[in-house]
Order: sequence, then structure tokens, then C-alpha cells
Amino acid sequence: MADVHSLKQLVLGRQDVQDMSDLESEVPPDLMTINMGPSHPAMHGTVRIVLTVDGERIVKSDVQPGYLHRCFEKESEHATYTQVFPYTDRLNYVSPMINNVGWAMTCEKALGIYDKIPKRAEYIRTIVSEISRITDHLTCVGASAMELGAFTAFLYFLKAREWFYELLEEVSGARLTHSYVRVGGVNKDMPHGWDDKVLHGLAQTDKVMVEVEAMLNSNKIFRDRMAGIGAISREDAIATGCVGPIARAAGVDYDVRKDYPYSIYPEVEFDVPLGTTGDCLDRYLVRIEELKQSIRILRQCFKQIPPASDAVHGRFLIDDHRVALPPKHDAYNTIESMIRHFKFIMDGVKIPAGETYTFVEGGNGELGFFLVADGTGRPYKAYVRSPSFVHLSTASQIMHGHLIADIVPIFGMINMIGGECDK
Amino acid sequence: MSDTVVPPQPAAPAPLAPPAPAPNPDHVTLTIDGKSITVPKGTNVLEAAKLLGNEISAFCYHPGLPVVAQCRQCLVAVEKNPKLQPSCQQTCGEGMVVHTTDPASTLARKQMLEFTLVNHPIDCPICDKAGECTLQKLYFDADNADSRVDTQKVHKAKVVDLGPTVVLDQERCILCSRCIRACDATSGQHQLDFAHRGDHEVLTTAPGEQLDNPYSLNTVDVCPVGALTSKDFRFTMRAWELESTPSVCNGCSTGCNIEIHHRNGRAWRLIPRHNPDVNAYWMCDEGRLTYHELREHRLAGAIVDGLPAGWDRAVKVASDRLASGRAQGALSVALSATCSNEDNFALAKLAQAWGLTSVYIAAKPPVPARADGRLRTADINPNTAGVKAIAAALGLSTKPLFELDPGVKALVALGDALAGVDVGRLKEIEYVALATHERGAVPHARIALPIAAWAETGGTVTNAKGHVQRMHAAFPAPGQALAGWEAITRLSQVTGGKLAWGNAREVFNEMIAVVPGWKDLKWAREARPLALRFAGSRG
Repeated sequence: MADVHSLKQLVLGRQDVQDMSDLESEVPPDLMTINMGPSHPAMHGTVRIVLTVDGERIVKSDVQPGYLHRCFEKESEHATYTQVFPYTDRLNYVSPMINNVGWAMTCEKALGIYDKIPKRAEYIRTIVSEISRITDHLTCVGASAMELGAFTAFLYFLKAREWFYELLEEVSGARLTHSYVRVGGVNKDMPHGWDDKVLHGLAQTDKVMVEVEAMLNSNKIFRDRMAGIGAISREDAIATGCVGPIARAAGVDYDVRKDYPYSIYPEVEFDVPLGTTGDCLDRYLVRIEELKQSIRILRQCFKQIPPASDAVHGRFLIDDHRVALPPKHDAYNTIESMIRHFKFIMDGVKIPAGETYTFVEGGNGELGFFLVADGTGRPYKAYVRSPSFVHLSTASQIMHGHLIADIVPIFGMINMIGGECDK
Repeated sequence: MSDTVVPPQPAAPAPLAPPAPAPNPDHVTLTIDGKSITVPKGTNVLEAAKLLGNEISAFCYHPGLPVVAQCRQCLVAVEKNPKLQPSCQQTCGEGMVVHTTDPASTLARKQMLEFTLVNHPIDCPICDKAGECTLQKLYFDADNADSRVDTQKVHKAKVVDLGPTVVLDQERCILCSRCIRACDATSGQHQLDFAHRGDHEVLTTAPGEQLDNPYSLNTVDVCPVGALTSKDFRFTMRAWELESTPSVCNGCSTGCNIEIHHRNGRAWRLIPRHNPDVNAYWMCDEGRLTYHELREHRLAGAIVDGLPAGWDRAVKVASDRLASGRAQGALSVALSATCSNEDNFALAKLAQAWGLTSVYIAAKPPVPARADGRLRTADINPNTAGVKAIAAALGLSTKPLFELDPGVKALVALGDALAGVDVGRLKEIEYVALATHERGAVPHARIALPIAAWAETGGTVTNAKGHVQRMHAAFPAPGQALAGWEAITRLSQVTGGKLAWGNAREVFNEMIAVVPGWKDLKWAREARPLALRFAGSRG
């Protein structure tokens, strides 16, 4: 066994050792309270943690979200159902399309047109949703790797993410805040030749995944920082309402796409990866596998999507005058469509009075919208069941007993998104 | 052991049916969409359905106008009647069974809408009525179907000058004749009529007439589409941007109930509010345009000897100057028939505190030509009855201000309308004005204190018939202006009057305890502005 004192001398020099030992004797024996955040590079979004530490070890942590003042739910009460879409973009802003789809499905269920959405629209929705899931997981994994020192993995993943952002920009007109989905379908059809670009992007992403997995999976530093850190048991995950990759890493076999199939998910094949230990490494591995499954779903979608020429299934928007905006050409040239357009913009789609809860598999798990409609064109009350908020509530529990430095991978793998959490 | 036979229990007596209500000979009972309703005889089916919460679509029907059943938009099915009936014209009969949602009448109403839209221009983006248009509302509430007609629209005149106040777009007109009837009903003059037939039929002025009666703008209110637009309001503000606050017109002693439509701290138009006891559904054009005054020549800060001053200094100087007048017994107070009950009550209380037994009443001079036996009256002061009642209740004798005593050396006067007073005389005395506007006698005041106008503060006015009606604050007063009673409270605090009210409600409650006949009045809750956008379509 090496003499620790002599090792310290070797590294630090005689004088520094002396200084350190002086300091050590002055460290108070009692617990210390320190702030992490609200503005801190490792705090995704703006969240504050008041830590009580015993040396480097976390004894207690008080996680305080709410710094973003998002007011999604309250703002929604003053917007028409269509005007809520831009707000949903800003919930989980690394996978906005899934939020769009969730909100649209909620409105459609309340309207009773849940099963009348054209097939092509459903496929487009699924395609953009799965692309969004890919960007979400790429960001989460890439950023966490970077925070653990693996900068190359971050750059590789963000490079791939940018391809997809550009593709989504091409289809929706905006890189990040797409507002692409509409009640009854989507805003406009996929551009010509877009599917080939996506398939090319997927092929490139496959290569990036191989590279990054080679860099991370058997990297000792990465594994040491992730394995056994922030573990949550299957029972605790269920008890605290964890969903998505976090629950699946703990072995909870729950994926909304499989368990409550919606849209065209019953028509595509994919697997739901499950972890065993529920620690950060499992969360990482689950996300990597979900990336591969999303790519698999996308390839099937492009094979199965009905062509736009299909008279029955080829529409990108429902043909229902109570719900869908008229084509622009008609709005400018007939009074009937002009009035329809005007009233949809000013008064909104009229949803009959009632309550609805609808949920989809978001990037972080079950993303639900609860809607109370009062018969007008605006929600009486909109509530979002945001996975980030639930997951953040477990943060304090799973950080307990770890070192301060472990907050970084734990928080990275919880993937708390401020916009979604501070609803 | 012998079997005991239990005798059968007598059946419980059937609960007595509630005694059938004695049929009221003045009422009839009918069934609409399976729901039974009892209404007074003579009520039409459309109104009866409205009582059940079922709004039957209609263009030409207006509750304040004669029924013509012209638009055919309110067709309903009446059992035992082979044809669909216009529900506005169909009076309710005993035992009648009406269906409003059956396929036949629903289809008829949809087809009527489609028909009405055939020649309607694509004007919504430039139309003043968009957002509060009955046609838009009914079409959107129906099925939003595309038209099956694909022909050229019939074009008509887009800008027809009907008179000094109203412009007509004949293409937008759906020929409901509401405006013709409204013109007849409100003014008694037949100035509008239809010309031609079929799809060339147009609204126009009657031969040799133009739409120049003093109630002409009511035609704009009743127009279900954007055919008639007010020259005053058109192209100034979109309807859905406005907020509405209930109030009372201050244009004359009738006190028509109105809505102030406002935004960005100013009024954009006044619209009559239904009150069967005062103005029914109408108001006059003059009253409708009084909102312009709220932005003209306003006194926004206190003035002392022609120079701007803060409130503290202004009331201090006023107190000093009035003290000498008070010492000589030459101080007098003028209430105003143009200001609210609360402002007048506050000033009357201050006069009492100063030991005065008589007050003057300032007012605008009457305009006898206005009186027409309808809504317009000769007395153009909104609160003549109220100010007299208050002075009498406080035991103050009153004189009109133009009989100003030569011995008066100092005068505190409410309002800017000091009709009949010699301005030269006012310049010589210590004249303290509490005024909304810097006009009339106010520029000659030694001290002028700014107060809020009628649309800017909560209060009540009493009309000629004695109705005490509530006004609500629509937007804040300009600059440093305070509510009248609040300004008077501040004045009293430096002159030893010791008035201490915190809000208009306290003034009101003290006032109704004193004035005979007002005891049972209630201070209505402050009305919050209603955004027209959220009011749904007004139609």
C-alpha cells in the first residue's frame, strides 16, 4: 500500500500538504448548506437545489423548480385551441412535435373525432413525433456525456440532432418551435422528397450511434460515473409516478405507445427496452436503445404511409368543416370559407362542454393533457401532466447519499426540461 | 302451534298528485323540443324557446321592433301544421308542439343561410361588423358547409351616403328590413325603404328623404351585418379589440342606459343597453357622440392663478383664499346638475360644514328644440333631479347660478357649465373650480381642481323620471384628476370640513340614508370591463 502522505507530497509539494492539513482541521464538523443553481451550467433549465452536505456527501436536497414562470396552463385559458399549439412547443422544447400531437389528440377526443383523422395525417404525426424523440434522446445523452467530460460524444450527437432539426424546419417552417400539428391533422403536407432526406439522415445517424457507443459504453470514467448512481427501484418508480425511460430503466414495462396504443403505433413493430437496476447507466442504455427503435419505426412509417393521391387516406387534414381551416385559396375566394376562416381564428374551434384526458408517450414518458371545455373556442381549464415535473419530484430521493459531483449525471439523466416542469 | 295468518296490509295510499295549477287565462303552455313551458299569451315561439335556452337563429327579428318574418331564418316545425312556420311570427298556442331540431327545419335554416350568402361579398377582413356579425355567427354555429352555388355575385353600390351619420354598403345588406323598422320606430320618420326586386333589391332612402333623424345611428346597431356603418366609428377600431363597461349616458336628463366600448384608456363608441323603463333598446345620436368630449379640453392638473400646481399646494391656497370669504360671510357654493349624485352630495356636505344654508345650482341651459316626446329632452343636464333632491334633503335652499348674489366674494363651483353667469364677475371673485374640462368659465378660475368625468369614475345620476342609475368606471381619469367626491374630501380636510370618505360607495351609503326615497337603493358591484372578444359573438 502506497504511503498516502508521500503521494500527496509528490503531487502537491511539501508546503501545499501543510496548507491542506491546516484547512482540513478547520472544516467544521457539522453539516453545511449550499445552493446549486438556479443558474448553474449543470442545472438543465433554471432550477435551484438547496443542498445539505456532509463534506462532499449529500444528506438532504431541496429541489425548487418554478423559476421559469411559464404559466402554460393559465395562458391556455386565454387562447383558442389552435393558439395553444405554440405554447405546447415550449413545454418540452427538445421534442415539441410530441407535445403538439398530444394537445391535438386531446382536442380531437373532446370533439369526438379521435378516430376520424386521415391515415396520412396520422403517419406524418408519427414521423415527426419519432424524429422529435430522437432529437430529445440525442440531446439528453449528448449533454450528459459532455457534463461528464465526454465532449466528443456531445458534438457528434448534436451534429446528428441538427440534421433532424433542419428536417423538421423543412416540414414545419421553424427549427425548434414548430407548431406544426393542428386539430384534425397537420398544418401542411410533407414537402416533396422530404422522406428521402429523412431516410438519409437516419442512415447517417446509425453511423454516429456506432461511434458514440464505442466511445461511451465501455469507457471506464463514463461507466464509473453512471453505474450505481441515482438508482431507483421498480417499486419506487411506480409509487412516485415515474414514466418513460426512467421507469423503464427500473424495469417498469410501460410505454404508452404499446400499452395504450394510439395513432398508427399498432401498425408498426418496435420493442420497448427495459433496464434492471434503475441507475443512470440503465437510463442511458434505455435511451440509446429507444433511439434505435425510433429509427426502426420511422423506416416502417415511410414504407407504409398512404400517398397524398389516395382519396380516402391521403389527406393531411380532416375534411370536417367544424374543425379544419379552409384552404387559403377558398378563404380568399368564397364568403363561406372566409367566414369559417375568420371565426376559427377569432373564436376558435368550438369544443363541446366536457372533460377529457389524453396522453401520449413523450420524450420523457407519459405526457398527458387534461382539458375542461365549456363549449366556447377556448379551454376553460387546461392541465398538463408533464413527466419532468413528476421525475423532478424523485430527484431529492435519488440524490440522497451521493456525492455533489453525482448530481450532474443524475440530473442529466432525469432530463428535467424547465419548460415542461414549470408548467 | 297454529299458523298465524297475517292479514294483508292495506296498501299505502297513493301520494296525492300535486293539485293541478289553475290554468291562468292569460298564459298558454306549449312544448318545444320536448320541454314544456308556460308563457304569457301573445308571446312568439322564438321568445318562448329563448326562455328554454334554445336560441333560434334569426336575422330580421328584433324584440324591440314589429315582426315581419322576412328573413325566413327562424323556421321551425309545428305539429299538425303542414308547412314550416317562422317562429318570430308564430304566437304560442295552448298545447302547441314545436320542433326546432328536426331534420326538416334544420335543413330549411341551413339552406336559408346558404341562400343569404350567395351574393354576400367577401368583405370580412375589411368589414367593421366582423367579429360581431350575426351572419358570421349563425353560419359558424350552423354547419360551415361550402356553397353549392358557383356563379358570379350580383354587384351593388359599395358606398352609399344615406345621410350625415350613416354609410350603406348595399352588397353586404341581407334585406332584413330591421333598419327600416328601427328608423320608423325610433324617430317616427320613414326615411329608409327597399327598391327593386329579386337579387337586385336594395336598401335606399325613401323618395325625397335622407337618413337625418336624430336617432339614425340606431339603424347601425340593429343591422345584423356590416351594411350600415356609423361614419363616426367606421374604420377606427375592430370590434373584438374593445372592452365593454355598463354606464349611463350623460347627454341629457333621460339617462339612457349604455355600454361604453373602450380600449387603451379611451372610449371608441357608445352603444345603447336594454332598459325597458328608460330607453328600451335605443338612444339618440347626440348622446352617442358625447364620448368625444371625454378627450377634448380636459383639465388634467390643478391650476393656481393660471399656473400648474400640485394637489397639495392647490388645496392649501384654496383654503387660504376661501378663509377670507368665509370670514366675511361672502363664501358660496354651486352644485352642478352635470355631475354625479356623489360629487354633489360631497359638496353639499362641505357647504353644510361651512355653515351655509343656501347653495346655487349650476347647469347647462335648456334646449327646448330637443324635446321630442321620445328620448330627447330639453334639459341636457344628466342629474338635475338628483342635485335638487340632495340639496332638499340636506336642508339647503337652492337658486340657479345665474342669480349669483352681488355680495359673493368667493365661490366654489362644481362642473364647467356655469350658464348665464357673467364671466367678468367671476374674474373679480375668488372662484375655485372643480371641473372636468378647461372650458366655459373654468379658464377664469383663480384655482381649478381637476376631477374625473362620468366615464372615469363610479357613481350614480338621477334622471328626470327619478331613476337613480349607476355608472361604472371604464378607464382612468387623465393626469392628476380625482373623482369629484375625493377632490372635495381633500378640500374639506384643509378647510376644516372633516369629510373622510374612502370610496364612492361610502358616499353613496351616507347619501341614501339622508335623501328621502333613496333608502332602499343598493350600490351595485363594480363592473369589470368585459372584453368583447371573450363575450362570444355578439351578433
